[in-house]
Amino acid sequence: MMIDVQNLTKRFAGRTAVDGISFQVQPGEIVGFLGPNGAGKSTTMRMLTGYLPPTSGAACIGGHDVFHDSLKARREIGFMPENVPLYEDMRVAEYLTFRAALKGVKIREVRSSVERAMEYCGLGEVRKKMIGTLSKGFRQRVGLADALVHRPRLLILDEPTNGLDPNQIRQVRSLIAQLAGEHTILLSTHILSEVEMSCRRVIIINKGTIRADDTPEALAENLQSSGTVTVELQAGPEEVSEQIQGMGAVRRLASSDVGEGWHRYELRVEPGEEIRVELAELAAARHWRLRELTLHRATLEDVFVELTQRE
Amino acid sequence: MRTFLILLGKELRAFFLSPVAWVVLALFMVITGQSFSLSIGLLREKPSDFSIVRWTFFPQWFWYYYFFLFPLITMRLFAEEQRQGTLESLLTAPVRAWQVLMAKYTSAVIFYSVLWLPALLYFGLLHWIMRGEVEIPLGALGGSYLILFATGLFHLALGCLASALTRNQIIAAILGYALILLHFLAGTFLMYLSQENPDRMRPVLDQAVTMRHMDYFTLGLIDSRPLTYYVSGAILILVLTHQVLEYRRWKA
Ligand SMILES: Nc1ncnc2c1ncn2[C@@H]1O[C@H](COP(=O)(O)OP(=O)(O)OP(=O)(O)O)[C@@H](O)[C@H]1O
Ligand SMILES: [Mg+2]
Repeated sequence: MMIDVQNLTKRFAGRTAVDGISFQVQPGEIVGFLGPNGAGKSTTMRMLTGYLPPTSGAACIGGHDVFHDSLKARREIGFMPENVPLYEDMRVAEYLTFRAALKGVKIREVRSSVERAMEYCGLGEVRKKMIGTLSKGFRQRVGLADALVHRPRLLILDEPTNGLDPNQIRQVRSLIAQLAGEHTILLSTHILSEVEMSCRRVIIINKGTIRADDTPEALAENLQSSGTVTVELQAGPEEVSEQIQGMGAVRRLASSDVGEGWHRYELRVEPGEEIRVELAELAAARHWRLRELTLHRATLEDVFVELTQRE
Repeated sequence: MRTFLILLGKELRAFFLSPVAWVVLALFMVITGQSFSLSIGLLREKPSDFSIVRWTFFPQWFWYYYFFLFPLITMRLFAEEQRQGTLESLLTAPVRAWQVLMAKYTSAVIFYSVLWLPALLYFGLLHWIMRGEVEIPLGALGGSYLILFATGLFHLALGCLASALTRNQIIAAILGYALILLHFLAGTFLMYLSQENPDRMRPVLDQAVTMRHMDYFTLGLIDSRPLTYYVSGAILILVLTHQVLEYRRWKA
């Protein structure tokens, strides 16, 4: 087991940031860690990397307790902290060399490790530049290069794409996809499409507790709001609702007049129910003209909103 | 040990690549050089109770610049790290907080020692040029260096403590200066008390009055008690600094 978190809790002066969370991550998994601002993502990551001691509970990285066996646990981790703190007055290559040596890369291999990390993250052209003069995107890449320079088994990335433009986000995403084979990755982000693309598993945390832990697809499927069917018919609401109410799977119906006798209906259906065929047949039997029939699957965004906004 | 050396290397590089450090070094060479040549002039005019060593290292204006030196050296050490947030990346690497602390402190001690090296060169030159016509009092020279080093250890530790307490370099400098001055003034206050009441105060005095220590040591009178005082004081303050760093990180 790569990460084993048991009842981890962190209290700051009277406020509980992380409230007894437990989860496991197996080697090779890529896990997205989601939650609204202040949910406790960064706090959890800081505990996993040994920066903050837990108030109670325990966490192990590769079998080493992060608090009692901290150095061993930290050796397994490449961590990219939130906002990527860096030494402004060091040069890129110099910084990475320092970091590689510090994280225990053998002296003979420091150079090649740094070169490899810089190539991976596209830092070749800025290697001699002062970190303080870099743009946000390049700073972010330096942070990423730092996290993986010593080839750790586990990468913990706190909002690696925070503040990047769409091109850069895409680059970082493909970088993460490349890293996936070699490393276990736990990453937090607010960009849900990113998670849907790169992560096979999502943990959603809100107010310090875990609200969901599953694949993105499974989460969307289980979501209560899953299955909204939109249908546009040339038929009046009274007639349609009378017919449709008879279909057991429909829970809610909303209609709107879109002109020339056309009406647009939104149908909430029970999770997992398929009513489109039935609807089409109904329309044909009643001689309603039909011009649209769509099933909307719940997106991760729907899941996120549902789980973190509902009180 | 390897970790410590890597950290120390980084700190030393930060010192010797920073322009402030070179300004301090240059200023310091001017100050000691000026004191040195003035003291030669002084001693040529009339004999003095004090040796050339004493006049060089501790001219009248010594106390004006001596205390400024330490905050200048130490203010950046932890404050800057805390401002940039780099303590987080540093302490999530397989590194112990005390290794970071000792590396920073050691680098400050090394820089401080380097500041005093040119003076040694002046004496060497003097000796070489005068071909033994002037006697350099080696005991006094050794004593001066020893007491400067010992007080340095102590004051640099105070500077580190100040720097750990804040994320603002300027505040760290002011705070460090205040701590050092406070310790010094406490010593002079004791000295003042002892004039009222010489016998009872004597033992206390010998322990904690920096000015008195310097007087003795520059005469070549080397005493182990003040050395113990400064070294153990430095250790105590470093332990305190470690606690401050951990507390600020964990801030429960
Ligand atoms: N050092 C600290 N002292 C006091 N409270 C803290 C400290 N660090 C975090 N908190 C609080 O703990 C809670 C969780 O913060 P955390 O930074 O873990 O959130 P997050 O999920 O990373 O949010 P974001 O998406 O904004 O980065 C917040 O309410 C925050 O105010
Ligand atoms: Mg955060």
